[in-house]
Amino acid sequence: MSDVTALAKEREQIYKDLYRGNVPTRVPVSNPLALDAMVEYVGGNVAEIYWDMTKAEAVFDRVCSEFVADQPPGGTRRYPSFYQVLGSKPFVMSSTGHMQHPDVSGMEVEDYDYFISNPYDCIIERILPRLYTELNTTPELRALALAKGFSSWQAEMATVGALNSKIRAKYGFPTIPSGATTAPFDFLADFFRGFTGITKDIRRYPEKVAAACEAITPILVKKGQLPVPSEYGMTVIPLHMGPYLRTKDFELYYFPTLKKQVEMLTEMGINVQLFVESDYDRYIDYLQELPERTILRFEMGDPKLIKEKLGKKFILSGFYPLSLLITGTKEECVDKAKELLDILAPGGGYIFDFDKGALNIVGNLVETLRSVLEYVTLNGSYSPAERAGNVELTPRPNRCAEIVSEIEANMNSKYYTTWENYKQKHPELYQGIDQVIGPKIKRYEDTMFNFIINLCS
Amino acid sequence: MAIYDEIKKAMGDLEEDRLIQLIKEVLDTGGSAEEALKACQEGMDVVGSRFEQSEYFVGDLIYAGDIMTQAVEALKPALASNVGSGKASKMILCTVKGDLHDIGKNIVRSLLEAAGFDVLDLGIDVPPETIVETAKANGIKIVALSGVLTLAIDAMKDTVDAFKNEGMREDVKIIIGGAPVNETVAKLVGSDAWAHSPHETVSICKKWASE
Repeated sequence: MSDVTALAKEREQIYKDLYRGNVPTRVPVSNPLALDAMVEYVGGNVAEIYWDMTKAEAVFDRVCSEFVADQPPGGTRRYPSFYQVLGSKPFVMSSTGHMQHPDVSGMEVEDYDYFISNPYDCIIERILPRLYTELNTTPELRALALAKGFSSWQAEMATVGALNSKIRAKYGFPTIPSGATTAPFDFLADFFRGFTGITKDIRRYPEKVAAACEAITPILVKKGQLPVPSEYGMTVIPLHMGPYLRTKDFELYYFPTLKKQVEMLTEMGINVQLFVESDYDRYIDYLQELPERTILRFEMGDPKLIKEKLGKKFILSGFYPLSLLITGTKEECVDKAKELLDILAPGGGYIFDFDKGALNIVGNLVETLRSVLEYVTLNGSYSPAERAGNVELTPRPNRCAEIVSEIEANMNSKYYTTWENYKQKHPELYQGIDQVIGPKIKRYEDTMFNFIINLCS
Repeated sequence: MAIYDEIKKAMGDLEEDRLIQLIKEVLDTGGSAEEALKACQEGMDVVGSRFEQSEYFVGDLIYAGDIMTQAVEALKPALASNVGSGKASKMILCTVKGDLHDIGKNIVRSLLEAAGFDVLDLGIDVPPETIVETAKANGIKIVALSGVLTLAIDAMKDTVDAFKNEGMREDVKIIIGGAPVNETVAKLVGSDAWAHSPHETVSICKKWASE
């Protein structure tokens, strides 16, 4: 076995142990550099790379060989090509080449009732054409725009998929299937009602907000599926609006459907990582209610208090302030890493990560980040004594197929057809090879579903 | 309770319907639109204080900004002069180059306008040269820069440097705000002040305006 293959296996085992509650051989380390920062580091044009990811290999090569970490950096879903051809309002490239999402609103108050009764149909018919100007046109032009958007999205996924495989093989990164979805309240807030709209809706139409969150939850569970079945895959959910709400509003409108979503994904055998953005000090006791082994990456908070309250049940991550890498000395930054290791590593259940991603190279970031990543990689090992309680990892049952089938059967949408319904409507299909045709037809339906929901989140 | 005290209370308590009804009552009975506006501004001060005390949160500030905008729109036709205290200080507010976020900036704008500032909101993704040119053309003495992403730090520093290069640094006071901002970042950027809370931003700008 080559060194790189052995390294990948070692890293895979670290994450497998972590997800299942064993103490791994060492604390795994994440690299916070976003693609934007990586391009800046090598001296390239950020916009050009985002527009042509076939040119990104050299960027990944340099960063992965010069910054040690256990996962590849630079993951993103936001490539300008398909957003451009669709006339995107929610995702745009700034004048400096960075993809961002301005405050937009694609859903009117009058849409609530339709959204509650059939969210997928409401999204396709009413909301998407408001968020994507090239869809707000004649049926013919809309069909062409969607075809162009979909094909450019698929092309980007293929390019990036091939690049990721190459980089994983070259640098010994583990293969961990990953998914992404959105918390129901955030989905309603981010691009549909907007931050401004949703804060008014909570006061003016609270029952509709609650009902809309419930209605969209199954769709956001289906969206959170992994691209390939795996016991060791991870789905990320970034948490946005919670800290902006009063506690009673968080309790009534934000948390119930988030909790339901995380529980369902966990029952589907998926390891869920929540990016706990901003200040969750008020909500630590709510987080306690989430399923065991949920990964909680914190932007803010007292690591000692959080380790004490949540460390036994959950996998903790985050806390390391990116701003220190920018303004601090190497010694200060390594000391901070040591401090966090001392607090969070004992007993396992810890991934070394930062409070946020780095979008650009500024201040002392290059040297301090390199030092910190090296320090944690070399000093985050667990002793045999600490690992003595580990158990053998055996397959565990999950309800993925059952949960997803039930969601699909209940969508009742004009724009999503289950294989069973498709087959009934198409008796002309060649008989006897359902096991070949069925998965293919379903894959087309699900790929389009993922594309549509990705445009809204 | 006099109607203007009720207006202040309704604004502070974020009672939208009650506030609009009270403003209508003032206008229908020939009351003072100026006094009503002043009461709304005092109510916004209450909102700001409650935010400082963690009784209100960002969602409440957003809602307050919306209610304040409705109140000002309702009162405008009856106001004798421009919105503001009559001694409005002009200032620039914007999100810096490369950053498209504006929710925090818009909250701060509402509070600054409520405090009587004449705010030139230059929007988002604003290059340093635009900020400097606008300041020069309008005799601006106070500049507030907003940013959410860490890349905004660079753009904030570039903006401060742009004022230095124009020989205008001593003529303006610059405050920076947003998620990545802190004392150390403020030193790196070279601003005169920094703030996380809108209320603090308004306090600092008011202090500068009175100097």
